[in-house]
Amino acid sequence: MWLPFLFLLIGLALGFLTNLSIPDYYSNYLSIAILAAFDTLLGGIRAHFEKKFNQHVFISGFFFNIVCAVILTFIGDQLGVDLYLAAVFAFGLRIFQNIAGIRRFLFDLRQEKIQKKMRK
Amino acid sequence: MKLRGKHTILALVMLFFGFMLAFSYQHTKALLNEDQIDSADWEKEFYYRQQLIQFEENNNQLQHEIDQARFDILQLENELSDQTEVLGNLVLEKKDLQALVGELPVEGPGIFVSLKDSAFIPTEENVNQYIVHDRHIHMLINELYSAGAEAIAINGQRIFHDSHIVCIGPVIAIDGNQYPAPFVIEAIGNQETLQESLELSGGVIDILVNDQIEIEIGKKSNIQMNARMG
Repeated sequence: MWLPFLFLLIGLALGFLTNLSIPDYYSNYLSIAILAAFDTLLGGIRAHFEKKFNQHVFISGFFFNIVCAVILTFIGDQLGVDLYLAAVFAFGLRIFQNIAGIRRFLFDLRQEKIQKKMRK
Repeated sequence: MKLRGKHTILALVMLFFGFMLAFSYQHTKALLNEDQIDSADWEKEFYYRQQLIQFEENNNQLQHEIDQARFDILQLENELSDQTEVLGNLVLEKKDLQALVGELPVEGPGIFVSLKDSAFIPTEENVNQYIVHDRHIHMLINELYSAGAEAIAINGQRIFHDSHIVCIGPVIAIDGNQYPAPFVIEAIGNQETLQESLELSGGVIDILVNDQIEIEIGKKSNIQMNARMG
């Protein structure tokens, strides 16, 4: 159970420790990729709570979303249209939806526990 | 087994996510810092650049002025050297002319001729035919000038362009000053030329000798003559 958190910390540490620098031009891509990853993670958590979690869907969604978002941004750059805003908008919307779902589910879980206690 | 596999995959995903997050955070922070530094420095850089350009322009202009001034100085120097040369020549010429006219004392090699009345005068003859007359002196002086004498003096009195020589009985008045015989005529000039021009056969000396005048002629290495008074 603690393994994912441990790896998250390791990832953060690695990110802070690496002294890589990318051109300013690609900072848009990075933020979009992070947004996509965050969205997928939250989606995965929600699916887990709803007992619909499929690891293949999760993994493919995680990387596919990132790649898609980056490609969209790239195309937008080439066309001179800020298409990455569409990705930001879509992912933002979905993040909020996922958070809302998780919240609702947590409330339900808590209510069930209280009901169980009352029944006892 | 299935649970463990799920956790492993989640862990890997989390690793990737965490890495990206941290990396992006760091990158954005660096970017912001750079931007701030840039915007703060840009004004300064622009200001200093502007100043530098102005200084360079000033320097350029001043250099130009220096070049111009140097050129002017050169020209002035050239003119001055020319002028001094001309002036030196003019001064020399003026001195020459002054010496010739008699405004300056002169000295130099020359000859002298002394004329004496004849010591022996036969009683039956006219005395006038045996003494030195002004015309003899005129003739001598004219001959000397013709031969290139630069300055002539009689008994130490210099002859100028407006001098007059007159016979007053046994004495001769030069510009009002009377001198008795013997008369010593000095001339500054080329000694050889002067002497030979006087000694030509049928020349001045012959004529004077025919007029019973005792003549002595000789060279003098240094003759001094005063400037004209007044």
